[in-house]
Amino acid sequence: MALSKDLLEILVCPQCKGVIVPDEKHEKLICQACKLAYPVRDDIPVMLIDEALSLD
Amino acid sequence: MSREFKNRVREQFGRAADGYIHDKGFATGDDLELMVQLLQPMPDDNMLDVACGGGHTALRFSPLVRSVVASDLTMVMLKKAQEFISEEGGVDNVTFREADAEDLPFPAGAFTLLTCRIAPHHFPDVRRALSEFHRVLRRGGRIAIVDTVLPDDPEIAAWYQEMEMMRDPTHIQAYTEDAWKEMVQDAGFILHETATVPKTHDFPTWAKRAGLNRKGIADLNKFFVEAPEKVQEYYHIETFAGEVEAYTDRKVLVYASRPPKK
Repeated sequence: MALSKDLLEILVCPQCKGVIVPDEKHEKLICQACKLAYPVRDDIPVMLIDEALSLD
Repeated sequence: MSREFKNRVREQFGRAADGYIHDKGFATGDDLELMVQLLQPMPDDNMLDVACGGGHTALRFSPLVRSVVASDLTMVMLKKAQEFISEEGGVDNVTFREADAEDLPFPAGAFTLLTCRIAPHHFPDVRRALSEFHRVLRRGGRIAIVDTVLPDDPEIAAWYQEMEMMRDPTHIQAYTEDAWKEMVQDAGFILHETATVPKTHDFPTWAKRAGLNRKGIADLNKFFVEAPEKVQEYYHIETFAGEVEAYTDRKVLVYASRPPKK
């Protein structure tokens, strides 16, 4: 699974509206500022604050 | 949006997803065509469709614009919409995101066109959603919102609200045309036009789509049959042998834009 660069450019963290980056396996989108990981399910990014996994 | 309410929305639309995909009222409709007419989508538009449901709005606009991002709070709904759009074939510019209308995961000014059709009555905080719409829309970008309109008459409005709460546990609040004008302008948009269009619902299909059981449908039927005369008139409630067959509500369409750069 790969999320294209164009698509990532129009996604931000819904909480801080800051940059998110994919993890190595492109399974999650990481917001370093909020320490949250947003899962990607069946190629659909789940950009919900409540569903994000805490990195702490 | 509270986690509890969000889960209720997911449960409701997860269960009812098929009904929404195959519902003629959502797939077509005067309100959808009016949206196209007013927004005048262009080949270089990047569009966001918030609370995309079955994907009908995204599908209608996709051949007319560069790209469509379709977002919804319910993953089951998104997957069904994705399936539905891929079955249509030849559509390769629609992408799906699970997102909350009140906390959109898009950068400021990312879109030139934004639509939100027959959904805001499920939003706990419409003003917050409107401020998010304003943020993600580029200056000069156009927006069209369609939702069921709350009648101006307080008695009819109270009946409508009670009826929707009986039918759909995720119904929060519909707004009058004047309330929409005010909210959209308060959010910083230039209001260009509002219009209302009638929409007739086949009662059994409409009641079942919300996932009501037999008793729920019977109770709702009774509520319609016993509605005060002015409610019957306003909603053109059609009955046969004590069974409601159809009724007609009105959708309000709000067409606005974000002010251009000075």
